Amino acid sequence: MLKTESIIFTYDGLSKFNFPDIQLNNADSLLVLGDSGVGKTTFIQILAGLLKPKSGQIHLDSVNYNELSSKEMDQFRGSRIGMIFQNPHFVRNLNILDNLLLSLYLSKNIQDENRVAQLLNELGLGNKLDSMPDDLSQGEQQRASIALSVIKQPDLILADEPTSSLDDVNCQRIIKLLKEQAEKNKSKLIIITHDNRIKTQFNKSITL
Amino acid sequence: MNISRLAWRNIIYNPFNTILSILLMTFGVGVISLLLLLNNQIDKQLQDNLRGIDMVIGAKGSPLQLILSSIYHIDNPTGNISYKEVKKLTKNSMVDLTIPLSYGDSYNGFRIVGTTQEYIDLYDADLSEGVLWDKSMQVVIGSAVADITNLSIGDMFCGTHGFGDDGHVHDHHHYEVVGILKQSNTTIDKLIITDTKSVWDVHNTHDHHTCEDHDHHDHHHADENHNEDIYNSEKFMITSMLVRFKNPVAFIQMPRKVNETTNLQAAMPVLEINRLTNLLGFGVQTINLIALIIIIVSGLSIFFSLYNSLKNRRYELALIRVHGATKLQLIKLVFLEGLTISTLGTIFGLITSRLILFSTSFMVNQQQMLNSIEYKLITDEFWLFSISLFIGLIASLIPAIITSKINIPKVLSNA
Repeated sequence: MLKTESIIFTYDGLSKFNFPDIQLNNADSLLVLGDSGVGKTTFIQILAGLLKPKSGQIHLDSVNYNELSSKEMDQFRGSRIGMIFQNPHFVRNLNILDNLLLSLYLSKNIQDENRVAQLLNELGLGNKLDSMPDDLSQGEQQRASIALSVIKQPDLILADEPTSSLDDVNCQRIIKLLKEQAEKNKSKLIIITHDNRIKTQFNKSITL
Repeated sequence: MNISRLAWRNIIYNPFNTILSILLMTFGVGVISLLLLLNNQIDKQLQDNLRGIDMVIGAKGSPLQLILSSIYHIDNPTGNISYKEVKKLTKNSMVDLTIPLSYGDSYNGFRIVGTTQEYIDLYDADLSEGVLWDKSMQVVIGSAVADITNLSIGDMFCGTHGFGDDGHVHDHHHYEVVGILKQSNTTIDKLIITDTKSVWDVHNTHDHHTCEDHDHHDHHHADENHNEDIYNSEKFMITSMLVRFKNPVAFIQMPRKVNETTNLQAAMPVLEINRLTNLLGFGVQTINLIALIIIIVSGLSIFFSLYNSLKNRRYELALIRVHGATKLQLIKLVFLEGLTISTLGTIFGLITSRLILFSTSFMVNQQQMLNSIEYKLITDEFWLFSISLFIGLIASLIPAIITSKINIPKVLSNA
């Protein structure tokens, strides 16, 4: 279960963000909506443990973020949280297979090539194992970045505007895949977006 | 997949930056390594050929010339001295060994040295074929002489006056090859060695055989001199005398005695060789300095290419951190990239210097100076290796620090 309580964040004490409390069970998904500048990305980075809130509590399953050192947080995020960004990014000098193996290595998982191949098949990238990231189309890149974050079977998947640069077909496909993967791994899924095309596809949403 | 493999991929996927850095490192290390090897080689040759000779007595002139000509056979003789006089000087309880040398003639560029058989013992030279001489005009030839002139046992030849090809040919006197020495990697490999008396005979007698006269009947030239008295004659001249001391006191007394009381000159090989290597050393140091600067420039090149590629890869590094890489792993990544490049450059440099040395020695084989190159690492090269790695380390330091301080949320938000 993911649970946040009265998170407050400030940038240099100037702008202050009060984030609503959220509670999310395994395999639940949540859409976070809001206009630009309301702190959507800040919220997701706090949930990822990349930014430390000024006050408030975050619990992911039995772990309280406030009790982790920054090194422990790095390792916790590496093994338990998967992140997907608006513009997919990869290690450019590694092919897709090696990018996924690197993700497994850094999250201290077994580097199982069969599992990687199986996941890429599910995402329709079965023939892209040896491709370099730059050689993929934008839709393929976004699917590969889903693979990158779910290969380690995270407890929490955080997606920051995953569909805003995609066409309608790819947009629907990405949302479908994200939901499938989250359900399969019993992961909690949070999607930040201002994309109207996907609003209707989620039961739970909050607006910042 | 792990950090080391990622570092390696990053290196090979940026070939142009990598190649420039590696080339500069290879060049700098190669030049220094080549000089170190040559220096080591020359030192070794100089020391190897000393054979415990403490003093050389010869005619007045340059002491360095006397040493170079008598021990290394790479300069002209300083003149002739009376055998009787020098023998008298060295009849001393402090003297362990004396070997007379008479030289000044050559065959096909190889020097003919008249001496005693102790000279062969001095270089621990063994015969590969034939026997040592037992009379005048018989010679034993060094391995290089045999290889290049194709002389073999029983062959006859005439010496040329001087060391060039255009000297007067002593065509009344035939030397006969009776033995060939095994390769010893010393000066003796390129010498034609004979009895002291042969040289005397060639220069002081005349008979009627000519060099073109290849009849193999017994040569009776110089028969009139075949008595021991000849050595005691005032006229019997040699070129120099190698002396080994029994007693360290002799180092102070003997040279002074020779230089002050006679018109001969005594030269100490160790002193002259030190003087020579000091002279060479100055040039070597200058080139070393230039090469060191090249290595530092290569360090700068590693620094700039790492710095640039990290700037372009900021998002990628942030991504790796998001995937769970610790700061330490990112630092390791940067250091591995920098150190791999400098290590590769250093190894290529050490290989290049050996290749150059090998091809050079191949081309100038006749000089024999480079015949016994040792290709294994020498002590100074371990230092060179350490210095290069240290420069690689320094070059990676700043990029590594920048990488470890990367602000992940900021980089991710600005993407």
